[in-house]
Amino acid sequence: MVNEENSIFWKKILGEIETEISKATYLTLFKSTALLSLENGVASIAAPSTMIIDLLQKRFYQTIKRTVDKHTGFDTKILFVPKVIPIPSGQNTKTPKEEAPLFVHIEKKPTMVGHLPGVRPDYTFQTMAVSSSNQLAYVSATTVAKKIGSSYNPLFMYGPVGVGKTHLMQAIANEVYKNNPEKKIIYITSEGFTNEVVEAIRNNDTSRMKRRFRSIDLLIVDDVQFFAGKEKVQEELFHTFNILVDAGAQIVLSSDRPPMEIKKLEKRLSSRFSGGLTVDIEAPDFELRSAILLIKAKKHGVDLPIDVAKKIAEKTNDSRELEGLLVRAITISKTNGIKITTDTIDKTLDEGDGERHRFFRPDDIIRNICSFYNIKPTLMKGPKREARLVKVRQITMYILKKELALSFVEIGNILGGRDHTTIMHGVTKIEGLLLNNSFSEEMLRIKSLLRNA
Amino acid sequence: MKASFLLQNLSRRISFVNHAVSAKSQLPILLNFLIEAKKGRLIISATDLEIGIVAEVPAKIEEEGSVTIPAKAITELISVAPIEKITLQTKPEGLFLTGERVKTTFQTMPTDEFPKLYGDKGSELIRLKRNTIDKEFSRVVFAASQDAERPALSGVLIKEGESMSKEGFSLVATDGYRLSLQREALGGTKKKKTTDASMIVPSRVIRELILMNKEASEGGDIGVYVPQETNQVIFSQNDVTIVGRLIEAEFPNFEKIIPQDYSTKTIFEKEALQRAVKASYVFARQTANIVKLSIMKDKIVVSANAPSFGSSVMEVDAKTTGEENEIAFSVRYLLDFFSNIDGEEVSFEMTGPLNPGVFKIVGDDTYLHLIMPIRIQQEA
Repeated sequence: MVNEENSIFWKKILGEIETEISKATYLTLFKSTALLSLENGVASIAAPSTMIIDLLQKRFYQTIKRTVDKHTGFDTKILFVPKVIPIPSGQNTKTPKEEAPLFVHIEKKPTMVGHLPGVRPDYTFQTMAVSSSNQLAYVSATTVAKKIGSSYNPLFMYGPVGVGKTHLMQAIANEVYKNNPEKKIIYITSEGFTNEVVEAIRNNDTSRMKRRFRSIDLLIVDDVQFFAGKEKVQEELFHTFNILVDAGAQIVLSSDRPPMEIKKLEKRLSSRFSGGLTVDIEAPDFELRSAILLIKAKKHGVDLPIDVAKKIAEKTNDSRELEGLLVRAITISKTNGIKITTDTIDKTLDEGDGERHRFFRPDDIIRNICSFYNIKPTLMKGPKREARLVKVRQITMYILKKELALSFVEIGNILGGRDHTTIMHGVTKIEGLLLNNSFSEEMLRIKSLLRNA
Repeated sequence: MKASFLLQNLSRRISFVNHAVSAKSQLPILLNFLIEAKKGRLIISATDLEIGIVAEVPAKIEEEGSVTIPAKAITELISVAPIEKITLQTKPEGLFLTGERVKTTFQTMPTDEFPKLYGDKGSELIRLKRNTIDKEFSRVVFAASQDAERPALSGVLIKEGESMSKEGFSLVATDGYRLSLQREALGGTKKKKTTDASMIVPSRVIRELILMNKEASEGGDIGVYVPQETNQVIFSQNDVTIVGRLIEAEFPNFEKIIPQDYSTKTIFEKEALQRAVKASYVFARQTANIVKLSIMKDKIVVSANAPSFGSSVMEVDAKTTGEENEIAFSVRYLLDFFSNIDGEEVSFEMTGPLNPGVFKIVGDDTYLHLIMPIRIQQEA
């Protein structure tokens, strides 16, 4: 846009030109021009059409140049740019028109497969590697996709992070969409669903949401464990659930643990969740991890030797982390021009080890951890010292330290002005706790939550 | 310059070129046509600096050259002059237009004052099939805004098909109260790979495009060009070219406002409802131009009410599924819609008296028209 300085300068120029030429010419050619920039001896002038520019060039280049030169004091080149600059109308400083009525309530729609993002088109059954750890889940998912609503309803899949729950669920969506594009499919994360409910309650318009969710053929909700403790949302889901099942629509759910183990989930809901088929997806075994690597490598256009895949597969049992390692190996080998072999792979992956760093603001981290543990961020910074709160606070300290490498003093300041020794203690405490298996899995979940935030 | 040609060849073109001449222009040169004679053709151009039209007619050129000539005068003259062979010749005294039974002289203006309409067209971006243009653009362009304060809404968005599986282009126009969307349009094929295959073309240019296409003599697809480093868009068909300026603004996210479902759907004969709405207009125009549609099981009741004047109630046969419903619209929007679409049966879908109603042509799911209802007081 035009800055004020240029606009004042241009007004002066126009004022002089106006006196030299006929009024008609001025109004037709100069009225809607503007000075876009004046630098390095070039004045860029916007005029609304190429035809106007042609006339300005042909007939008034010298007039403009002369006037501009006089004011700048040096030899200026005039450059015309075809661009419409809205002229602020002088007297009637009308407030900008309000948004056109049709576009006032642009509803937030959940993402629709194929049409809209949200479901990755490459997450299909064909791109899924199957082995004994996820075979049952795979078979039930394909069965459901083949005949929605009539085989297992609901299909509930659970398992730790990175075992392919989301992949399977989106594969169902993609498969159903591919075969029956007219089916109404909603794939939504538990957070998305929660937001919809909150939004609807806030706007006092739950009927619209109800209508939308209750008139579909396939509802897929990812990570339902996050509904824990959200009563109103659970109630909404409960009713939606009943109506959809009655209408013969298919429901697919996922969680990190079986329905009965989700704390703070209403009994009636967890019993409904387990009313269909509940399948467990285990962490991928070694063979599956190797197979996943080979598939992913092919996607990246790299022919990965099988023994290298095995080598990488030994390093982690999280499939998401696998892909990370693979991408890093590929990138490093490409940039350094080394071939990926069993000899180089160790070195490649150990260099620059550590987490793939992503830039987080401390507040993002705090917010995510708080929502994971379902506590208020203000409590985190507050003085209260209940055992549960203290633990969450210490986890935050640990993550801030490890992910962002902040100093103890900085972390202390972020967490409501705590002493750096408190922070040091907290971090050491968590490091100790990490030896415990169930706790380290919890940390893994927090980190994956952050990574996907 | 000296050129001879058949008057009827020129008269066919010149009235169309005249559309680009603005009667209100304050620059005298813009009230003129530029006529150039070269290589066996007479090229006539006109512009109001916003749009430009160029047409060519075959002619026998004895001496190449160019001249400007008052647009209004020559257009009127040609429309009444006897049809015969005409010679145009520039002499020091002016421009002479002579035929066997006609002899006229015009004062001319220097041709170098006439702006150049376009430079290098660049390569063809899109090729539009001529046969569907009228129908598809007509269904859309009427919904564009006349209000220059919302630039994005004063044009028609031409956008590459929104999903990978669909062919062709989407055409969209809206004035913020109604919206027309034509999918899979133009049978167009993109010639050049560009990342951004969407543009907003002023509705005036689209209207001229429709006219150009209607008048085009024999088959000819339309080439679309967007020259580098300009904000121009050029439509070329056979011997006629329209130059317009693209609207540089962000088109509102129309896909979000298209309802995905409905609670009431009714199918009716377009003409029947159109007639009923027209009849209601007699009363509606006395007040706020509102007509109410009550959608019942097997009919639509169209009613209008003008206090201190009278009221009307008309019934139209319809097949309704879903709940019965009521909705009120501006008569003008309904009539605009009916008079700009083809098709005999139309369906109407709605979810409530305050949500936009959706009209579709039965048997053609590539088109839809959305109208924002008017909130009315419930009758006691």
